[in-house]
Amino acid sequence: MGENHLNVQRNLWENPWGYVESFFIGFGLIVTGFFLEVFVTSDNALTLTYPYNVFFLVGYVSLLFVLFKWFSTSQLVRWLTKVPASISSIVLVTMLVMVMGIIPQVSSENNIINNLGLNHITSNWAFLLILFQFLTCLGLISIKRILQFKWSNFGFILNHVGLFLALIAGVLGTGDLQRLSINVYEGKPSWIATDAQKNEIELPFAFYLNDFLIDEYNPKLALVDNNTGSIVHNDGKNLYLVEKGETYYFNNFEVKINEFLSTSGRIGNRYEPVNEIGSPPSAFISVKNTETDSIQSGWISSGSFRYPYESFKISEDYSMVMTIPEVEKFSSDIDILTKGGERISTILEVNKPFEHKGWKIYQLSYDDKKGKWSELSVLELVKDPWLPLIYIGIFMMIAGAFYMFWMGNKITKNQ
Amino acid sequence: MTWIDFPLYSSITVILWIFGLLFLVISYKKTAVLKLANVLFVLGWTVLILFVVKLWIELNRPPMRTLGETRLWYATFLPLIGFATYIRWKYKWFLAYSIGMAGMFLAINYLNPETYSKTLMPALQSPWFIPHVLVYLFSYAVLAASSIVAIKGWYDNFKGNFKLETLKLADNLVYIGFAFLTLGLLFGALWAKEAWGHYWTWDPKEVWAFLTWMGYLIYIHYRHFHMNNTKQALSILALAFVVLLVCWFGVNYLPVANTSVHTYTTY
Repeated sequence: MGENHLNVQRNLWENPWGYVESFFIGFGLIVTGFFLEVFVTSDNALTLTYPYNVFFLVGYVSLLFVLFKWFSTSQLVRWLTKVPASISSIVLVTMLVMVMGIIPQVSSENNIINNLGLNHITSNWAFLLILFQFLTCLGLISIKRILQFKWSNFGFILNHVGLFLALIAGVLGTGDLQRLSINVYEGKPSWIATDAQKNEIELPFAFYLNDFLIDEYNPKLALVDNNTGSIVHNDGKNLYLVEKGETYYFNNFEVKINEFLSTSGRIGNRYEPVNEIGSPPSAFISVKNTETDSIQSGWISSGSFRYPYESFKISEDYSMVMTIPEVEKFSSDIDILTKGGERISTILEVNKPFEHKGWKIYQLSYDDKKGKWSELSVLELVKDPWLPLIYIGIFMMIAGAFYMFWMGNKITKNQ
Repeated sequence: MTWIDFPLYSSITVILWIFGLLFLVISYKKTAVLKLANVLFVLGWTVLILFVVKLWIELNRPPMRTLGETRLWYATFLPLIGFATYIRWKYKWFLAYSIGMAGMFLAINYLNPETYSKTLMPALQSPWFIPHVLVYLFSYAVLAASSIVAIKGWYDNFKGNFKLETLKLADNLVYIGFAFLTLGLLFGALWAKEAWGHYWTWDPKEVWAFLTWMGYLIYIHYRHFHMNNTKQALSILALAFVVLLVCWFGVNYLPVANTSVHTYTTY
């Protein structure tokens, strides 16, 4: 412990390698990675697919075991299992991720960003190389602790092996991860999905959308500036919901909602309850100016894809408007039709995916122009065969976190 | 039972807690009073639970759809986490800290009655919402406390009477905070899988949450192996907290902000 404060003069690359050498190697890996980015131009640096990623995983873990078991006296392995190598790789991974946290990961017009691949860090050679060193350190020290067979290593192993599994399965799993989306229309079976590159993919089953449903909140009431057209009250946040009988206050205006219709149509100079496609909500409000005591009333409506909105001018400067209702919940009542003639009924909703034959099926979106009258439901299908391994990693780390809470820095004190 | 009764119930709770906090302060001089403080905390908490249960029955659904309702849950669970930490670590001030935070959320709800009925978007309507935010809240609070301890350490260092005990307290707080930080990150991943189809998408908020995690990871590893380099350790702790603040508030001002899905204003 604390080997570096023996202030003994030592030369670079002399045994054992310390922080200077570790950062030297780390920067070397990063520079190499950037060279590869500049001169070996390919979009996907490393995407192994089944079965090659499984071969890689088995080979890599076996290699780590072999290195630890039979080459633990070699300079390289000794360095990798020591603190400077771990800390330097944590720091360098952090630095590259920080680049990702600052430079938007979208196509860029800046030459430096483009050439060095700073806008696709997750598939950048520099990141992958340094992550590889990070994982190698993590893997080797995990093996070291596992082979010690001691109960006191329990928390250590949960945290370190958990992170190793989650990371490596995440990286290697990318090649096998399939994310497709499919447009499903009411009353018509669909089985052609598309992937991120817009390739069409035929599914082994079809979706039949019985009904697409949206629940909406009531619309909200807002005070807008007639000149700029922007909401002038409460920074546009926390607006009041339009509910019959409510009274709200905006500056010197007292606004009472006398009537609220959730679906309505303009008939003459007023709104009446109407239930057609595209019938917008409307409200009859009376506005009292508390400075002049004058009262005026009128209709407001949020409008819809078929009908225009209607605002109510209450003074030279201000008008009352009704916002488009926000969505509370949207769901698809679907049947999955299999080739064997089976019909599986389910209701998909945000946060409530459905599992079928290794696919997780999600409610993704709908025709947002039409809103609650949408006849289109967009579903997402995700297949990630590496998920169980990632979950094992995640749950090990969760258990490790509880252990950590309980032990606190006693973990260090015992050393 | 609806939100109309909230002012009554919340004021009873807050008054009981204020007296509890007073007794807690006194207990630093007279240890016996601590029991009384705990009884008052538990009583206040029971009143709050009563309100939550009745509200739940009245609404006929779990009250976790609106911001006001989620704040109610923070106020309910923060004292629990505080007690768990107190039972394990015996930091009295820590109990006061979590009770104080819970009281703050009750006050926010009390002062913003119009937000009771605020809408909540579908992606946020999930049983993961409250645990995810709650463990983060708690973690940030503990890590903030560790930074305060670090500032004290720096000050003592400057004055020339630095005590190693100060850094050990900071260590323990970092371990507790880091455990909750890990839970927040992983709960977030599990939730993302249910809501967006993938557990990790390198969304800017996720990137900075990961960076925060890495920052404290560096601190823990550095402290583990270099017990005596106290100044460096304090610097790392300060830097890690800066990253945490960027993650909490700063992400919205970075060039990456408009690619984030975490742009709802939540507490």
